[in-house]
Amino acid sequence: MTRLAHLWDQSRCIACGACIAACNASNYGSSTAPNVSWNWLRTNIRRIELSNGPRPMLYLLQCQHCENPPCVTVCPTGASYKDRDGLVKMNYDLCIGCRYCMVACPYDARWFNESMWTPVKCMGEECQARIAKGEQPVCVAVCPAGARDFGDLDDPGSSISRRLANSRYVKLLDNMGTKPKYFVVVGP
Amino acid sequence: MELQRREFLKLVGTAAVVSSAFGVVHVASASQQVAASPSGERVVPVMCGACGAGCGLLFIERGGKRYILPNLEHPQPGMCGRPASALQMWSHPLRLKKPLKKVGDKFIEVDWDTALNEIAAKLKEVVERYGPESVVITRHDVHSWFLPLFQYLIGTPNLIGHEGTCHSASTAARAAVLGAGGPPIVDPDYENVSYLVLVGRNLDAAMGLVRQLAAARERGVKIVVVDPRAPNIAFGSVEWVPIIPGTDAAFLMAMAYVIINEGLYDADFVKRYTNAPMLVKPDGTPLGGKEVGVEGDYVAWDAADNAPAPLDKAKDPVLMLSEEARQRVGGARTVWELFVERVRKYPPDVAAKITGVPADTIVRIAREFATARGVIEDGWYAAKNGNEFDTYRLVLILNALVGNIDKRGGLCFQDSAGFPNICDPAGPDIVAVTGVKLPAPKAKRLDKLLYPLNVSTFDAVYEAILTGQPYPVKALFIVGTSPLQRDARYQMAVEALKKLELVVAIDIFPHDHVDYAHYVLPDLMFLEREEVATVRWTLHAALQKSHMALDPPPGVDARHAPWMLMEIVRRAWPDRAKAVGYDERYADPHKFEEWERQFVEAALKKVADRFKVSVDDLKKALEEKGFVVLKKKSYGVRPYKTKLGTPTGRVEIYSITALKNKLDPLPDYREPLYTRPKAPDEFYLINGKDNVVSSHFAFTPNAKYLGDRTVWMNPKDAERLGVKDGDEVELEGIDNGFKARARVRVTNRVREGVLFAYAFLGGRRSSLITGQFAYLREGVNPQWFTTGKIEPVVGSAPTNSTVRVRRL
Repeated sequence: MTRLAHLWDQSRCIACGACIAACNASNYGSSTAPNVSWNWLRTNIRRIELSNGPRPMLYLLQCQHCENPPCVTVCPTGASYKDRDGLVKMNYDLCIGCRYCMVACPYDARWFNESMWTPVKCMGEECQARIAKGEQPVCVAVCPAGARDFGDLDDPGSSISRRLANSRYVKLLDNMGTKPKYFVVVGP
Repeated sequence: MELQRREFLKLVGTAAVVSSAFGVVHVASASQQVAASPSGERVVPVMCGACGAGCGLLFIERGGKRYILPNLEHPQPGMCGRPASALQMWSHPLRLKKPLKKVGDKFIEVDWDTALNEIAAKLKEVVERYGPESVVITRHDVHSWFLPLFQYLIGTPNLIGHEGTCHSASTAARAAVLGAGGPPIVDPDYENVSYLVLVGRNLDAAMGLVRQLAAARERGVKIVVVDPRAPNIAFGSVEWVPIIPGTDAAFLMAMAYVIINEGLYDADFVKRYTNAPMLVKPDGTPLGGKEVGVEGDYVAWDAADNAPAPLDKAKDPVLMLSEEARQRVGGARTVWELFVERVRKYPPDVAAKITGVPADTIVRIAREFATARGVIEDGWYAAKNGNEFDTYRLVLILNALVGNIDKRGGLCFQDSAGFPNICDPAGPDIVAVTGVKLPAPKAKRLDKLLYPLNVSTFDAVYEAILTGQPYPVKALFIVGTSPLQRDARYQMAVEALKKLELVVAIDIFPHDHVDYAHYVLPDLMFLEREEVATVRWTLHAALQKSHMALDPPPGVDARHAPWMLMEIVRRAWPDRAKAVGYDERYADPHKFEEWERQFVEAALKKVADRFKVSVDDLKKALEEKGFVVLKKKSYGVRPYKTKLGTPTGRVEIYSITALKNKLDPLPDYREPLYTRPKAPDEFYLINGKDNVVSSHFAFTPNAKYLGDRTVWMNPKDAERLGVKDGDEVELEGIDNGFKARARVRVTNRVREGVLFAYAFLGGRRSSLITGQFAYLREGVNPQWFTTGKIEPVVGSAPTNSTVRVRRL
């Protein structure tokens, strides 16, 4: 089995925006049209700040590539599906733009792309092409802080597996039964 | 240290075609036309031009997709949100597209010939009427290598950059204490650092440093960020110390207090490599050798002989004199005694009252820093309060107190690549890198007359324009920089710009100053031009070449700024242009490269000679990989084997340069150059950048979301004033009465009593900003509220201020 997953290290992230903007450049042609769903740029990564707690906290939110993805469950056409590599993907030819998946996602990780008239999410087209070539997704490739990783959880020798073995991490809304595969490392 | 040829080839690589780990053929060349590989993929090495750091990038084009990746083989690889948005800059609707000429109060498009002929004629008239020194050129980083040639062809001394509101003070401090130059010349060895303190520095650039720090994080480095607002880096695992603005020097003084008081300093280093043992007479001047019958200009007390000795020859120099010894040297005191006396003014509890940082925090950080033999970063973009010369002298002195200079994991000197300037003063002449001599300007640079230890103080130019003193200024070339976002005398600047006879703005975007230009000339962005430069922000000696990745998009008739400037010179003074081999053949911008390359090749020849390698090997590496490492960093050279460039050749705790310039030779905590807040509705208004902000990046739609145009306020202050997130407030400058409105963002990222706004982002005012980009007008430009007062001698203009907040 292959279970591809993302890792984001909150303790190392410097919030430089490289991953967010590079996703826009590579997957959305540097589009300057707004992302109305998120009131954000056209990218698959959102930046969420917690500005009222005891110290500033940042969270980068994107598709969790759940092992039990609600977006796939609710999709009436099979456009949303879980691939054999463990990633949750979209077949745009089947999508009718009903947006059930957007409502079902507890992470609000999908946004509606008016140009395509479909919901979109991580992975974008270019990142999937890169993975097919054995390259890292763009957000991982650009990160200057070593705050991102991507790879196969079922391969104990993969960089992500080794990092997870040596880190404290959390998964978001794990109690909802979604079995998310976006690991938030909070420290060594 | 000379590299053997074989070692050199190992460093630069010799393969004509570089294969990536994924079997994709990377062929990079100067021209995109020949760079396509059979797979239709292009990988072009470029140097980032989004800020002055010049990080190594790769432009990628595959299957119709274009984006930027970091060049991981480069000694200083990128990247941050700015270059990631570079394609939005490239095709931006507001890009300057055609030469513009001001007619009445409107711009009209004109062709290149018209613009260049008219500028040349006016420039010639100004030079003939008022002298060449009446022409001023200002710049940031872009084209900074080329501009001195233009300057000396005109004959003006006045090429005056942005540093007065950037690193003028920290660079003056590096010169005074370490005899060193600009910010990248001295830097922490991030990769090996054990404990890092950032004071007024947030590593928003260079990203190669962040990569090195990531390696140090693997080994558990501790990072302390001393800043009134939490910069982006403070989201990660760092200790953020929210200090009261402008009080860093008091914090550092108290650190020195703890380190000295608890004996945590490296006494051997202090004695051997700083001027701490130097004897100073009661009048404050150094005791000369002649006065006590020994050699040399500087004297120490040598315990080995119980007698005065030349500073560098004392076998056992003492830090504290016995009373008997003091009598024998006319009541002189050691620098160490004077420094300790100064430091005693700032015990942690006193510093706590000034800085708002608890005394136990100061004590703990001082102990941790000293026992870990840590590093305090030496400052870059730091002109904030007008007391930074003291702050950064203290930073450098603290690094010396723990003996961590030029050591692995310490504060290190960069190994120089020796890439020469395009022209330099040599005796009575100016000599270009090609050997051509040009006449030296007769007048003195006008800001240097006022601020002799500065790098640049452009704010002084506005005053000169308005007063005609020390001499008239009538023409201004603004090249790739935004003075009205940058400088601390906004209102004076606007008046001054209106008074000039010729203002030429060369840029890619309509910054505020463009409205006051008589001519606006559209420049190429960094993906559209080539450039050879030193790799900054690495300790290794290295060069890089940025390759042309793209032509300007359709409809953008942009040209290379050096071409425009040489065309202006040729049209005004054909003989001067001819003197540097420039004639009408190069009026064709495509031929210009041929002419420009002779300078680059002459510079490369000098580098090749220095490192005993062939120019062809150098060029080959630059063509194929985009960079070449000439020499790896050697630790332990300065001040151990080579003396420093200070008067004593040592780390100068007591600065003789400062003394000669009538400044306090010892650092101290001094009040900022603006009125502090006193009433409950008065706040410090501080400003800064992050990895998502630069003057140009501000225009990209990405920056609308990644940056913000609000004014940040602490939740406790917001509650006290009844202000909610998103509310609009009026800000009024306490010192200048300027009023403007902004929306408030309530956030714990800023200390109580302090407001923060991004510099260069909000309050854009150019009339060329229209339509969907009207949001660029939102928020404030922090320079609207500044006093315009300038730090004496070092010429640093504070960009922080105090404002009154009124709910609307």
